Amino acid sequence: MIDPLTLNFVTETMKGFGTVEPAGKNRFRITTTPDRLRDAIMHVQAMLGCDRLITVSAVDNSRTLELHYHFTGQHRTVITIATGLSRDKPVLATLSDLLLPAGLYERQIHDLFGISFTGHPSLKKLVLNEDFPENEYPLRKDWKPAPGRSYGGTKERREPL
Amino acid sequence: MTEVIIPIGPQHPALKEPVNFRVVADGEKIVRLELDLSYNHRGIEKAAEQRDFIRVLPLLERVCGICSHSHTTAFAKGIEEIMQLEIPPRAQYIRTIIAELERIHSHLLWLGVAGHEIGFNTLFMWTWRDREAVQDTLEEMSGNRVHYGMNEVGGVRCDLTPAQVRAALARLPLLEERVQKYVGMVNEEETMLLRFRGVGKMTKQEALAYGAVGPTARASGVACDARHEDPYLVYAEIPWEVVTDTHGDVYGRTCVRIGEIQESTKIVRYCLEHLPEGNIRVATPKTAPTGECLSRYEAPRGELVHFIRTNGTDKVERIDIRTPTLANWTSVAMCLTGQNIADIPVIVAAIDPCLSCTSRITVIDDREKKKNAITFDELRERSRARWHAEERS
Amino acid sequence: MDPLLLFIYIFLFPGFLFLFAYALTFEYLDRRIAARMQHRVGPPFFQPFADLIKVLGKEVIDPDGVDRRIFDAAPLIALAAVMTAYLYIPIVGISPLAFEGDLVLVLYLLALPTILLFVLGWLSRNIFSAVGGVRAVTQLFIYEVPFFLALLAPALMAGTWSISGIMVWQQQHLWCLFLQPIGFVVALIGLQAKLERTPFDIPEAETEIVAGPWTELTGRRLALMHLARDASLVCGSALVAALFLGGPQVPWVISPAWLGWIVGFILFLVKTLAVLLILSSIKVATGRIRIDQLNRIGWKYITSAAIVQVAIVLAMNYWWVRA
Repeated sequence: MIDPLTLNFVTETMKGFGTVEPAGKNRFRITTTPDRLRDAIMHVQAMLGCDRLITVSAVDNSRTLELHYHFTGQHRTVITIATGLSRDKPVLATLSDLLLPAGLYERQIHDLFGISFTGHPSLKKLVLNEDFPENEYPLRKDWKPAPGRSYGGTKERREPL
Repeated sequence: MTEVIIPIGPQHPALKEPVNFRVVADGEKIVRLELDLSYNHRGIEKAAEQRDFIRVLPLLERVCGICSHSHTTAFAKGIEEIMQLEIPPRAQYIRTIIAELERIHSHLLWLGVAGHEIGFNTLFMWTWRDREAVQDTLEEMSGNRVHYGMNEVGGVRCDLTPAQVRAALARLPLLEERVQKYVGMVNEEETMLLRFRGVGKMTKQEALAYGAVGPTARASGVACDARHEDPYLVYAEIPWEVVTDTHGDVYGRTCVRIGEIQESTKIVRYCLEHLPEGNIRVATPKTAPTGECLSRYEAPRGELVHFIRTNGTDKVERIDIRTPTLANWTSVAMCLTGQNIADIPVIVAAIDPCLSCTSRITVIDDREKKKNAITFDELRERSRARWHAEERS
Repeated sequence: MDPLLLFIYIFLFPGFLFLFAYALTFEYLDRRIAARMQHRVGPPFFQPFADLIKVLGKEVIDPDGVDRRIFDAAPLIALAAVMTAYLYIPIVGISPLAFEGDLVLVLYLLALPTILLFVLGWLSRNIFSAVGGVRAVTQLFIYEVPFFLALLAPALMAGTWSISGIMVWQQQHLWCLFLQPIGFVVALIGLQAKLERTPFDIPEAETEIVAGPWTELTGRRLALMHLARDASLVCGSALVAALFLGGPQVPWVISPAWLGWIVGFILFLVKTLAVLLILSSIKVATGRIRIDQLNRIGWKYITSAAIVQVAIVLAMNYWWVRA
């Protein structure tokens, strides 16, 4: 059993990747930029012993699309690496080669938030139905279903026989 | 035979839930497979953003029919952390009891399904019958068999009476005895060993790399358990152990789950016997301050994660639910390559997939057919009448 | 034999009418025994009859591009084969149609439904059916060899290829169950595999390939195929009862003759039900094995056991029976 990580240790190790702040009990968040994300994740895996990706969460905060990569390891501390992408052109290089389970999370985020992960082996629809309209991302804050538009499923036929 | 594509799902006898695999097989061997979950997306995360904290709990409870308590507890404990509420110990204990009962019935259900996947229907019938004991306890405690509705932000909805505690304790010995029987069956029944041993093997390194969670990971020797890594409720105070196994195959996953049933039975007994006195809920503010929380919870199927962000109102800004099944799919896809077609059901079932637990609604219209309608109790009496008679004699 | 009596024997009793009634009763008993062992209530007595009538009346759906004639004919041929086989198996005393060599004919006829299942699976242009059909025929090659060997051992011992002849021989000596216990076990395993019951329900593994070759069968095709399966359960049990348990031959001298027949018939019922009970217990107590595992077990153990039994029978013939 390894002791939980301390704020000082995490700050010291992650110097140069962004700000480190505590985010709840036994949780630390490192905010970084999209271009340093990959290096930060590799650094976290190598230097902080984070061998498990818990999940990738995406949040739309109306200014940017945030991505949170949550890691943990033997030390049981959750390290979150957060980054923000512009809402107009959210593109990020895929991490599915580095983090195998991220492949599915990226497909899900692509469906719901419209973030394109370049280099992803099969960025097809995962959770949304295949006849869901393109370029509509339901979990974005400004999304509203357009009246009269088909969002998939069987078409109701109301005309009398 | 040359390569053929076998569609499995979204409606297939092996999977009671909508997922679509396209298995490319060469004869009886699987070459690769593709995954699509899109059959039944319900948009619960979006809907959760429109409801206040009181109304969002029943919604989240309906994410899953089996681990309904998991979702509400994960959410409630996240919101409570953001609100900085201290939950009374009695409420913590009650939540733990329900959570562990849920784990027992979920694992018994799984054991039956695993038996059914290899055509061993006797095991299926037996475990599902024994599961009724747990369901009865849950019904007595909460009034419901599936969606218990026990959680509130700030505590639990209803208290346990001494009579309920006694009744629950009285049911545990029978359950333990039956589980002991299943331990024997899993280790001795020849066809089960043939179908479970060495099937869907995953090493510890693979389990870590593919991000497997729950019993799937623990069967490969990864001792990850959110109850232990990130103790919540009363898991830090009570005696219990993480069950692991080193087989890494379906047999190992079965052993882990049966071990967890036994461990959960002990936890339930301890909690029922040491139930502290006191309030079952605290007053909660209507709104939550701006903040965020990553709430980890060990659901029966593995680690469930709710990422919650609040914005100072009475609604969540964003709730991101990562179910254990989604985390386990990658490992399934890897496990299946090179295996037999005949092993698909049991390998897929071995992670205990819980896809969307769709919005199934049963509408009983008894206005016209009052005579023909059969109440649930009658139905149950019919099906179990003989069993009861035997048990008594 | 009197033509009228023969007509009654073939069509009414103990012929086809009785066969159908008994086959459906067998299905009921099989399901009921399994249900009771699994702590369920099980179906009411008339359930298989009701199912048969209901399914017979259902619409017949032709999958796209399927040869309708073969699809219609296959269940009929399967049923006809089983019904024909039934006529040569002794039910009340010696079968009037018995001839030297009817054992080979019966074994051949009982193998036909499986081959027709393969044909159905292959023709129905459904991937589940095709996989199921291939599995059915693979399984056929695995169990048929030990099954044949196990059933030929009594013939070797009795020195006749007639089922009725073997039965009479057992009357004079001893039941083959006691003389050839290994062969009896192998025959039961082979029968279970032939009828595609757990643990050998590989060709129609519900959770893997839906219903295998049965997937595209509808209406009367399904009903007839189902009836053929139930009838082969009766035939198989009756065959094992005749070859290993002395069949309906009454060990005592009873007069008048008709009373002897009734006692024989009751013995037949008791013995076939005993075989059914064993088969149902195996079904309840096991899970389904994989085709590659069956291949290994079948050739390595079951066939070897059958060969050993035949060798023992040959040795016994030399030292004891013929001596």
